[in-house]
Amino acid sequence: MTPKKGLQISTPTDTTIVLTRTFHAPCRLVWEAMFTPDRMRRWMLPPPGWTMTRCECEARAGGALRLAWKSEEADPAMTLQGVFTEVVLHERIVHTETMALGSGQTIGSLLEMHEFAEQDGTTTMRITQTYDSKADRDGALASGMDQGMEAGYMQLDAVLAQPA
Amino acid sequence: MVLDRSPRLDLVFHALAHPARRAIIRQLSGGERNLSELASPLKMTFPAASKHVRVLEGAKLVRRRIAGRQHLCRLRAAPLKEAMLWTEQFRQNWEVRFEALDSLLDEMKSEEKSRTRRR
Repeated sequence: MTPKKGLQISTPTDTTIVLTRTFHAPCRLVWEAMFTPDRMRRWMLPPPGWTMTRCECEARAGGALRLAWKSEEADPAMTLQGVFTEVVLHERIVHTETMALGSGQTIGSLLEMHEFAEQDGTTTMRITQTYDSKADRDGALASGMDQGMEAGYMQLDAVLAQPA
Repeated sequence: MVLDRSPRLDLVFHALAHPARRAIIRQLSGGERNLSELASPLKMTFPAASKHVRVLEGAKLVRRRIAGRQHLCRLRAAPLKEAMLWTEQFRQNWEVRFEALDSLLDEMKSEEKSRTRRR
């Protein structure tokens, strides 16, 4: 049976977002595509009108993650900086992440964990994003609406759960 | 199914695409608030907050009623529910990148195969 390939998104706790996706490739290739700058540039498609201007990724404990984008209006328009805190090759990788506007104003920070499981040449990748608070998590989900960059799907359950 | 071209939904998303307005929505999820209550945590003047509320009103996300000198705002959940259906659209935005990753992986697999053959 072919595993379900489409992206699944869930919010198991108030401060997390989990993305799960299956790829028909061995884990080491998925890992290479995810954490090698030349490969990352190929799939990290920016929103229309944006260009990735910086892509550095040192996937080792203590290594840095530095990304930047420019838009027609600003260079940089947005930056993403982080540090890898835990790296188990082809299995599990954790990094911090802080997004900021070109002005330097921080948009939000989170802890991102990627876990990989390979079976019969197929790899399931699970990304768990942990935010400092529910408000931050919801903010990240909502800001995806105009950026499509961060968690590009929104979750307004919190708002909707309240009586109008 | 939400159509791609929905002017009303465009208004909703435009309205939600500003952090101050999202903060206002979040505040209003706790119940009715007057404009000063909304303005103060945003460190905004009354007119600036009023402008944001007007955008939210335009998208029918917020209803304002004037009681004496108070401008009382409350959330209207229906357009937000409609916007929720867009979750699927946003999931697809991510899926687009993962599909690009699929193509890249196919390429990498072929590269690897041809390297093996050359050996």
